[in-house]
Amino acid sequence: MKAEEAATLLNAYVDGELDAATCMALEAQLAENPSLRALCERLRGLGAAIRAQAHYHSAPGRLGAALGSRMPGEPSTRVRSWRPDWGHLGAFLAGAALVAATVAVVSLRPGDEGRVGSEVLASHVRATLGDRLVDVASADQHTVKPWLSGRLNFSPPVADFSGQGFELLGGRVDYVDGQPVAVLVYQRRQHRIDAFIWPSSGESALRTSAARGFNIDHFARGGMAYWIVSDLNANELADLARLLPSGG
Amino acid sequence: MEVFRSSKKEAVNEREHRFRQAVIPHLDAAYNLARWLSGNDHDAEDVTQEALVRAWRYFDGVRGDQPRAWLLAIVRNACFAWLRANRPAEISGSFDDPVRDDLHALPATGHGPEALAIESLDRRVLNEAIAALPTPFRETIILRELEGLSYREIARIIDAPIGTVMSRLARARRLLIQSLQVIRASAESGVRR
Repeated sequence: MKAEEAATLLNAYVDGELDAATCMALEAQLAENPSLRALCERLRGLGAAIRAQAHYHSAPGRLGAALGSRMPGEPSTRVRSWRPDWGHLGAFLAGAALVAATVAVVSLRPGDEGRVGSEVLASHVRATLGDRLVDVASADQHTVKPWLSGRLNFSPPVADFSGQGFELLGGRVDYVDGQPVAVLVYQRRQHRIDAFIWPSSGESALRTSAARGFNIDHFARGGMAYWIVSDLNANELADLARLLPSGG
Repeated sequence: MEVFRSSKKEAVNEREHRFRQAVIPHLDAAYNLARWLSGNDHDAEDVTQEALVRAWRYFDGVRGDQPRAWLLAIVRNACFAWLRANRPAEISGSFDDPVRDDLHALPATGHGPEALAIESLDRRVLNEAIAALPTPFRETIILRELEGLSYREIARIIDAPIGTVMSRLARARRLLIQSLQVIRASAESGVRR
């Protein structure tokens, strides 16, 4: 393997995009080549720095508000300029978006599971849209856990998993499946993750589904039911699913 | 006639609902990409609006579970159309020549006090270095690191083979490391003087 080729493959290696065979070949190279190892560490550090420090530009409120009441480019008059007429737009952004989110996911899965999945997804979208992500903002489990326990008749496991790449942003209380539930909010890169937790007598293995670009994991263990929703990819979401029950 | 009209209206409302539901969760991702490609708020907003117009127009053709990648592809195309019209120099030329500079162009060691401590970089310096990347490299960095997209998804968005995504990311990171080293070196020599 030429140095140049190895350096390019190293990027794919760091990104977790190499197939198993190439991965093994590259790891053999890494074992005997210290400068390649150094480059590997440097790439990892660079990636972490970009994810932590690069500006993430949020859309100005105008863009979302305009979408709320009238579609871009509508109606019939042909606007030659590509700049759409965003005028006389009303105010039902939040309402319309939420109704749409709630209605459209009902087909997630038949029966109770589908209904609960719809409810947690709707809650997640609502929180992401409305800026009310957390009621208590803290990465400290000793702040979040008492706050939740004080508002619920149970005490959910709470932990910050920053060491594993899931930063605890805080928690909120929501209403799912006819009961108040705990919601832990995590962040991984730019992805928000909501973990809904409530008491459950049964145990069930991890089940995964996807709807509208969101991944939804759920399982029950140790007396708690867990529903996890995010636009994060399914593999990384499953990592969090494995971590959650270990919270204190 | 009245019945016909109302059912037509319902269909329009249904389409709007589906559109909002597909697009609104990804507005930040759309704007962030446009902002990084255009380099300023005003143009980013214009380009995102243009992209939303196109997205609405072609929405009926969308199937599947990837509204974010679909929207980002439209935003990306709108950005490039805008750049072609307004700043053609930024996207002209070939960016996919075989890489000449091998890894020995980088300082060989990552150890010791001279090592580039990327983690401790100044936020402003890092952002300027990303902003200074040629557009095709900048977009792969944004899509990969800030959106967490897979090579396959990025390939779809920029309409290029996965191999191109891989080599552009590798070159983008190489350029970033090099420019950050230059900035650091000049800062240090400035201090010593």
